[in-house]
Amino acid sequence: MSNAEKKNTQSYLERLKQQALSQENYGGAVKYDQANMQVYDCPECAAARAPADGLTVCAYCGFKFMTVELSDGIHIKKEN
Amino acid sequence: MFGFFKNKYDNPALLEEIRQTEEKWFVFMDKLETRLDELCAAAIPELIAVFNQDTDPYKRAHSRMLTGLIGQISQMQQKGMEAKETHIIPFMQASGSLLPDLMSSAGRKYHDRLYRFQMACFDRHHQFEDKVNEGIAALRSAKGNTDLEAVYQRQLREFERIKDSFNCKQCGGKMSIPKMFFIATYIQCPFCQSQNTYTPSTEIQMLFHQARSLAEQRTAHLLQDYENSRPKNPALYQQYLRAMFDEWNKITPDMVAENERFYQRLLKDHSINHY
Amino acid sequence: MSQNPLLEPIHGITLEDYSAACAKMGSGLSEDQVATALGVEMPVWQEANLLWQERMKEDATYQIVTLFGQHFGTADQHPKFSNLQAVVSPEATGYIEKIKTDKDFYQELEVARQVAYDYGLDGASWIADQYGISLGDFQIAASLWNEQIHRDIAADSQKYMRTQDAYKEKYRQQFANTQGGNVADDITF
Repeated sequence: MSNAEKKNTQSYLERLKQQALSQENYGGAVKYDQANMQVYDCPECAAARAPADGLTVCAYCGFKFMTVELSDGIHIKKEN
Repeated sequence: MFGFFKNKYDNPALLEEIRQTEEKWFVFMDKLETRLDELCAAAIPELIAVFNQDTDPYKRAHSRMLTGLIGQISQMQQKGMEAKETHIIPFMQASGSLLPDLMSSAGRKYHDRLYRFQMACFDRHHQFEDKVNEGIAALRSAKGNTDLEAVYQRQLREFERIKDSFNCKQCGGKMSIPKMFFIATYIQCPFCQSQNTYTPSTEIQMLFHQARSLAEQRTAHLLQDYENSRPKNPALYQQYLRAMFDEWNKITPDMVAENERFYQRLLKDHSINHY
Repeated sequence: MSQNPLLEPIHGITLEDYSAACAKMGSGLSEDQVATALGVEMPVWQEANLLWQERMKEDATYQIVTLFGQHFGTADQHPKFSNLQAVVSPEATGYIEKIKTDKDFYQELEVARQVAYDYGLDGASWIADQYGISLGDFQIAASLWNEQIHRDIAADSQKYMRTQDAYKEKYRQQFANTQGGNVADDITF
């Protein structure tokens, strides 16, 4: 194995390594968000939402937060 | 027909050509194999270095480097294949067609020589192909170990630290997260009854997708027991699978029902393939 | 005819809805935009997202994942997403349109994408950089051309292989030139 050939392999490897490290990951770097808590009040009448009234409709003005029929999921149930 | 070549078939030029071709083939295979060894030996520490340097949680830089290297090895493999198909096999077939009948005493020596040529070249090629597979396997193992258990324990501690630190966005009352949720979840404020939406951190969301790998890590020894059994014992596989799923369920307890269905399916698939 | 219970909507989100949502997120829409388009909030979308994947894992017949693939391909026509497009340049719009309507263009790019990986690049990123085509759009095209390509192979597999090999050779040379040749170029029989 000549030194010239070894050098070629080495320079290929170096190039490949730099390319791999520098190419941006698809979608960009992973963004780390902290845990958070939010409320989404009724945009029509600004009333707060209580689980007893259901997740999908505003108990005060009838505004539809969600237009779907819930089924039994993991934490969310049909009756919500 | 018989006895047509009773007189000695004499073709020293062919013998020489066979000898030269065989030698050339070995030289070629040796060169390719040496280059392969050199590439793999040099690449392994670099791959490990890139794995450790790669800040991406999915180690995509490492993956890219790995696939690039395997691509180059495939190139070498293809080169070997094409050379065999271009220079060895046609030569064998052409030479063979020149020879007298195998069963004649004149023909046997030459057929023998050609047969030995074929075996030598093909064996050398198989040896090279084995080296290719070994090289690729070695490259695939050249990575650091992500200690999933440590990551998980760290996230558990972090969750304990923050779970009581939330406030209702409606009334400001103190809110606790009752358990480790992995997706956005509705939580009710105990004071004003308002529906809040809790979104877990990115790291906890990622944990959810690593749960199976962690469960597999914890039960790897049971899988090994199954792999080592001769003949393969399906009861051992079931023991492993049950244990793995039990661990999985400890990490993501909300998914027990879903996991059970998946467990049943995997067990069924395995028994179909096993028999 | 009773419907497969595994095909029932989850929180009102049908398999068609879910498939289209996945395609649209792959094409540049955010999770928020997709949840809004489906008329749900994040906790509901995320449960449905999780549970549809569980349905696919549970289904030993592969019916659900097959339907998912088909619906993925028709995401652009889904009524709930008709007003929502990711922001792309006019040039990219042209290429996105082309992979969904020009089979040869799609097939060539599909090979280029694969060969890119053999040269240490992320294929999806390479396609996005060169043509502005997102992974989601690429996958939509794959779904759209799937049946036709299978028919082509059945009709004349030799021709299909020859075309694929020609594309492979073209892009191997292209990527090899960029990296200064292959590692074993100097070794010949």
